[in-house]
Amino acid sequence: MSLLDIDERILQVVELVDLRATPITDLKEPDEDGVTVGILEGGINNTYNEEIAKKMRERCKILVALGDCAVFGGVPAMRNFVGADAALQRAYVEAESNDSEGKIPSSPELAQMTRVRAVSEVVPVDLFIPGCPPDADVIFYALVELAQGRIPEIKNKNLHWH
Amino acid sequence: MIKLTIDGKEIEAQEGTTVLEAAEAAGVFVPTLCHHPQLTPYGGCRLCMVEVEGAGTLQPSCTLPATNGMAVKTNTQKVLDARKFVLTLIFSERNHFCMYCQVSGGDCELQNRAYDEGMTHWDLQPNWQPFEVDASHPFMVLDNNRCILCRRCVRACGELVGNYTLGFEERGADSLLVADYNVPFGESSCISCGTCVQICPTGAIIDRQSAYQGKETEVDHHIGVCVECSVGCQRDVLTRDNRLIRIEGEWDAVLNHGLLCDKGRFLPLEDDRARLLTPLVRKDGSLKAATWDDAMKAIAEGLGKGKGLAAIASTRLPIEDLALFKSVFADALQAGLVTTLEEGKATASLAKMAEKLGKPFESNLDVLKDTDAVLSLELDLVDEHQVAGFFVKRQIADGTKLVVADGKGNKLAENASFKLDLKAGDENAFLAKLYEATQNETGDEDFDKAAKLLKNAKKPVIVYGEGFAAHADEKALETLLEISESLGAELVGVKGNANSMAASQLGLEAPIKVNGHKSAFVMLGDEEPSQKLVKQLEEVPFVVALSAYGSQLTGNADVVLPVTMWAEQSGTYMNMDGRMQKAVQALEIPEGVLTSRETLLKISESLSIETDADWKTKVTSRTPTVEIKEV
Repeated sequence: MSLLDIDERILQVVELVDLRATPITDLKEPDEDGVTVGILEGGINNTYNEEIAKKMRERCKILVALGDCAVFGGVPAMRNFVGADAALQRAYVEAESNDSEGKIPSSPELAQMTRVRAVSEVVPVDLFIPGCPPDADVIFYALVELAQGRIPEIKNKNLHWH
Repeated sequence: MIKLTIDGKEIEAQEGTTVLEAAEAAGVFVPTLCHHPQLTPYGGCRLCMVEVEGAGTLQPSCTLPATNGMAVKTNTQKVLDARKFVLTLIFSERNHFCMYCQVSGGDCELQNRAYDEGMTHWDLQPNWQPFEVDASHPFMVLDNNRCILCRRCVRACGELVGNYTLGFEERGADSLLVADYNVPFGESSCISCGTCVQICPTGAIIDRQSAYQGKETEVDHHIGVCVECSVGCQRDVLTRDNRLIRIEGEWDAVLNHGLLCDKGRFLPLEDDRARLLTPLVRKDGSLKAATWDDAMKAIAEGLGKGKGLAAIASTRLPIEDLALFKSVFADALQAGLVTTLEEGKATASLAKMAEKLGKPFESNLDVLKDTDAVLSLELDLVDEHQVAGFFVKRQIADGTKLVVADGKGNKLAENASFKLDLKAGDENAFLAKLYEATQNETGDEDFDKAAKLLKNAKKPVIVYGEGFAAHADEKALETLLEISESLGAELVGVKGNANSMAASQLGLEAPIKVNGHKSAFVMLGDEEPSQKLVKQLEEVPFVVALSAYGSQLTGNADVVLPVTMWAEQSGTYMNMDGRMQKAVQALEIPEGVLTSRETLLKISESLSIETDADWKTKVTSRTPTVEIKEV
């Protein structure tokens, strides 16, 4: 969502690219025969995230990890310090907002929770844009560079982790 | 001088400097983490690795002595790769997720170094081992999850402060920063000087008062002298939007080189006394809010002049204020008593001796930093003037011996080789006996041994405080001078409040004796009046109080004028070794409040008194106990 922080500049980006798939367009996944650039936000928190990351890696020539969650694991990674079971127990059973019969969801259709990982721990990543969130200017700069076939340099004033 | 090259640049350096120091002097930046200019080089983090021609491996520049003909390279690919690798390992060890850390965004040296090296991510994921957080301390939180094991805090606690509270338990990745033998930080031997929190490069030790209140980039700095005692430490008062955020010691200060005590660092931010913001005038028996003009009228009617008037000022106020105070009350109004809240207890006897000798006889504080034997007379440097105490305590591990003479509980005595009993009032007999012990044996084993210890010392120092100065008469001081001469010992007089010595130089050191006074003028500033003074003033029919805060004294007064507190005023202070330093205003003055100086001028105007603004001549004309220096 931080992509929207670039405000009206998104129109300039759209003119430069052929947008193939996003979570909010009809096409949710990149074309099977591949795309040039794929951007992943978020860390790898469960088996479903893993599948997406692998599919993105297969179909994108350049895979970008955008934001601290994708780059490092981010805030969700805090649960790694206590473990998945304790995190589920706290969230679904003990949380003050739950009723007395709090229950941990266990449908077989749900993805299995895993340790929170950076995208790069699951698949190779070509470009890291850290930040929580990354500055709008950094996002715009990176998108414009990528759209014009260059690899942006994330350093100096463009490098922030939080 | 030796010659070496760093990155192809020819550099001259003093023998004994490290490669890191030589590089810094030549303007070459080498990143460091465990290194700190005030600490002994440690070589722990390995971030400062450099390539040295002829050496098989990379070398840590912080511990490597520079030698003649050495060729050093600080920016080869090998060095850059090693730096990144060192940082990668540090990040992988514990919880270094910046987005939920207090110091992220400019205040973390680890994060800054990673940015310098262009690290966009970590090649190794953390090992997710949680450590407990210790939040038991009133001023600091100790979070081992953020610790990089650089041991700066441990070294500062020992090397700089001499307190040895912090240490490490376990080894390697399990290393745990602990207080004492792993007791809760808040229940440990910590004295809350805060040097550890100031020196921590990451968020492992967090300042509770200022946490999340403002980063380095968002605060304003106000560097000046601390006004909590007469040591005269340089400190930086950090504010944001006219709010006190935190206080830090100035690392570059010659005197305190970054150190502060709890009184200078944490306690000023804990002040919760009720602030006075409007003048109060007593009408029909009770104090009522009034205008400044009404208050001036009431003063003009009730203050009076001559013998029946007593004027008392706080030695926490700047010299400018004290000199003006003297000009108004001693010179113009000829008040019967013109003195300070301190009553010259820590200075009067010593100042008289200096006048008699016609020259200063005390040394400056630096002699306490390099001494092998200290005799402390009726003074507890653990309790008061603490930073001077740090200078002494930190040398004890290196063999400096301590002789503590006191008649009451004295925490410094815990470190003493000899404790001698010196009851208040017994100064003459004590010093005579000590002098005897330095000449012949007295038969008193402790005295003889202590005298021998002092005699054998190469750089002995005798340090004394208010307890001694208040009781020592001329004879006692003469004996003290004889002892110091026979031992070759330097004398250091620890004065009272921040402007104790300046008050003495102005001759404001008479004892407070209220005896038939018709009116009293008390210039408290932000000082809390003693119960004794409150009682004494109950006898005085008309009392004017200048105060930043409400107290029993202001409650009893007839006119109360709201004045500034320490952070809202600026001015000059003369510390215990005659160093004149500036205090700077850090906060805006609240509406309706004036500085004590402005208040004095307003009163002078309303009483049509001519005042003399020249304070420099006045404060330097009397023979001082220690040479006065303008800094």
